[in-house]
Amino acid sequence: MSRIFILTPLIVLLIICIFSLVYLLSGKDPNKPPSALLNKDVPIFESSSLYNAKDIIKTKDIKNKKTLINFFASWCSPCKIEHPLFFEIRRKYPELYLLGFNHKDPTSDAKKYLKDDGNPYDFVGVDSDGLIALEFGVFGLPETYLINEDGKIIYKFMGPITMDILKNEIEPLL
Amino acid sequence: MSSLVGFLSLIFAIVINFYLFLSRYIFKFQKQKFNFFIRLSSLLTLLSFFSLMYAYVISDFSNYNVFQNSHSNKPLIYKISGTWGNHEGSMLLWLCILSIFSFFFSFTKNIEDDFQKLTLIIQAFLHILFGLFIVFTSNPFLVNSILVNEGLGLNPILQDPGLAVHPPILYAGYVGYSIVFSIAIAGLFQNTDDEWLYVAKKWSLISWTFLTGGIALGSYWAYYELGWGGWWFWDPVENISLMPWIAGLALVHSLMMVRGEQAIKKWIVFLSILCFSLSVFGTFLVRSGILTSVHSFAADASRGIFILLIFFIVTGFGFLVFLLKEPKKSNALNLLFINKVSALVINNILMIIAILTILLGTIYPIIIEVLYNKRISVGGPYFNSTVIPIMIPGFLLMSIAPILSWQTNKIKSSKKYVLSFIVLSVVVLLQSYFLNFNTWGFIGLLLGLWIILASMIAIFTSYKIKFSFKFFQVINPHVAHIGVGIAIIGITCSSVFQNELDFNLNEGDKFNINGKTVLFEKIETTNEINFQSLRGKFLFDIENNQSKEIEAGKNYYPVSKMITSEAGILHQWNKDIYFILGDQKNNEWFVKVLINPFVSFIWLGVIIMVYAGLIAVSRR
Repeated sequence: MSRIFILTPLIVLLIICIFSLVYLLSGKDPNKPPSALLNKDVPIFESSSLYNAKDIIKTKDIKNKKTLINFFASWCSPCKIEHPLFFEIRRKYPELYLLGFNHKDPTSDAKKYLKDDGNPYDFVGVDSDGLIALEFGVFGLPETYLINEDGKIIYKFMGPITMDILKNEIEPLL
Repeated sequence: MSSLVGFLSLIFAIVINFYLFLSRYIFKFQKQKFNFFIRLSSLLTLLSFFSLMYAYVISDFSNYNVFQNSHSNKPLIYKISGTWGNHEGSMLLWLCILSIFSFFFSFTKNIEDDFQKLTLIIQAFLHILFGLFIVFTSNPFLVNSILVNEGLGLNPILQDPGLAVHPPILYAGYVGYSIVFSIAIAGLFQNTDDEWLYVAKKWSLISWTFLTGGIALGSYWAYYELGWGGWWFWDPVENISLMPWIAGLALVHSLMMVRGEQAIKKWIVFLSILCFSLSVFGTFLVRSGILTSVHSFAADASRGIFILLIFFIVTGFGFLVFLLKEPKKSNALNLLFINKVSALVINNILMIIAILTILLGTIYPIIIEVLYNKRISVGGPYFNSTVIPIMIPGFLLMSIAPILSWQTNKIKSSKKYVLSFIVLSVVVLLQSYFLNFNTWGFIGLLLGLWIILASMIAIFTSYKIKFSFKFFQVINPHVAHIGVGIAIIGITCSSVFQNELDFNLNEGDKFNINGKTVLFEKIETTNEINFQSLRGKFLFDIENNQSKEIEAGKNYYPVSKMITSEAGILHQWNKDIYFILGDQKNNEWFVKVLINPFVSFIWLGVIIMVYAGLIAVSRR
């Protein structure tokens, strides 16, 4: 065996350790994979309005406008926490289309929730069986997606958005 | 109380090992004193482990670890196995086995005192590393800050007798390689005669046998518990147990060669370091939570970094010593000869390629995620289409290797082998052609049968058949290979010729499996101690008087709110009929039936391999 040959295991070891270390230090949680949908087209969906079953929204309806999609439910307390921020967004960016999906919620509860806390959304779609959430790869509520004019998902956030996240992560994209 | 005893004895054991480690440079113990301390530290570590087990047995929820992972309703055996059914406890088990190996090694005779001491000092070093890891990042003796009367329960998937013994046996395999590692490093340092190779051989055989048993138990558990009907999934955790297993196989074979040729000492040292490095690497991948699978308990970056450091130190140290203190120049190998040595060297190379292939597939997702921030998964198709073809020439070589001579080019009674190979090929080809031809099925069957046949011919032509222990020792390599042949047949048939049938059934329906009528009798729910069970009862072959009852269903564990599937398996010698009860829809139950031909051959083959491993250990 030449010396190079004996050096190989050390080199392999070094490479493996460096990658593993970077992986560990980058704070990646293997249970929360980065969204496979990032930079992909918005999934195809079709949903009726919470207030009028005949009013239908489809994927092509949000073409050519920047859209913020938010999955929420009346039973989800973190959703309640982030809720006021959508009024803030509404006020600052009137051009942005705000689409809410009401996830696995009885219609009456959802209506009551939006009546009590106010309705910041341009359109509230019903996702009573959670199929749309499934298409979007929703892990848990709330989740927020930003879609650009070309219909591509450019940002995704899991959990309630905060003022910091709004300022540092969402606003630069708007 | 038991937590305190456990923690203190753990600390004491580490301190003693530190003392022993320094003894090389400062204290200079006599052999007897040295051995006394090694044994004392082993007993203390054992005491520490048993204190934890005691806390589990009496459901002492003042211990945080017990509180997190146990429940007073659990049957006793699962309280005991709960000790190692969690991250902290399993690391303590790891350390415990490490010190048990040191304990037994301290009794080894006919080996130089200095050499033994140095080996044990390296063991002490490993003990310190892993001991500190436990104390700082995974302490199982933390006290619960609040008063509780009930625990949070154990992962119900782990409540299974097979799994209660799987981790200790697997760990005995992994950690056993620590001794082999220490022996090899000590051998490099002292550069003495080759006596240590014989010592290493025994220990590597022991470790390999444990590892084989542990892996087989794990996959048998997956087979009947996970309810997918398969027994090997190329799950990352399975892969990382397979890598040291293959390296260990190469090591055991290289050590066999020592008597024939001296040239492969470097290989042996390399493989010894590799085996333990892969074991530690496996521990790192599982314990850091980098890999998500049925095995990972919890992700924790600090643990990951600590154990990555241990992996780096141990492996780096090992290979660095190997680089600096390379064994003396030995005769060059002449691979042009067709003899045992060249066959084994080629096989070793194939095994290393297989290990690298598995390693690449296992860490590829990590590399990709670091570089591109994308999550990919490498699964069965990659491994099946890379590892298996690499192994095939190895299996072919294996079938003839035992009959090759050590030095010369001649093959004893070669005509007989060639003739029987041709006859066998024709038979298998005809059989495959008339049933259902499948390339992989054909190759697998031919290989398996050929290995068995060649080994049989070798036994019957080379030795006089007698029924003495010595005879079984002599034919042992052939027996081991017959085990491999049988396992290959089982693997081939159960994967290539598996048959799947789906039914939607009402209670009382009859259906047909392979011409036998099966009755779906009823659905039964019962309340057991710590779970509720739902069982579908099936009567197989009702036209026959001796019809067999099969139960398949699910268990619901209210404490952890988990459902496990319990497959119903009808074992026949030539096939398993595997029932899985699915969901109920419109009053109909979805029932999946898998017919796995010759699956029992896999377990039989493994049992033969383990038996051969034990016989080989007994041989001097």
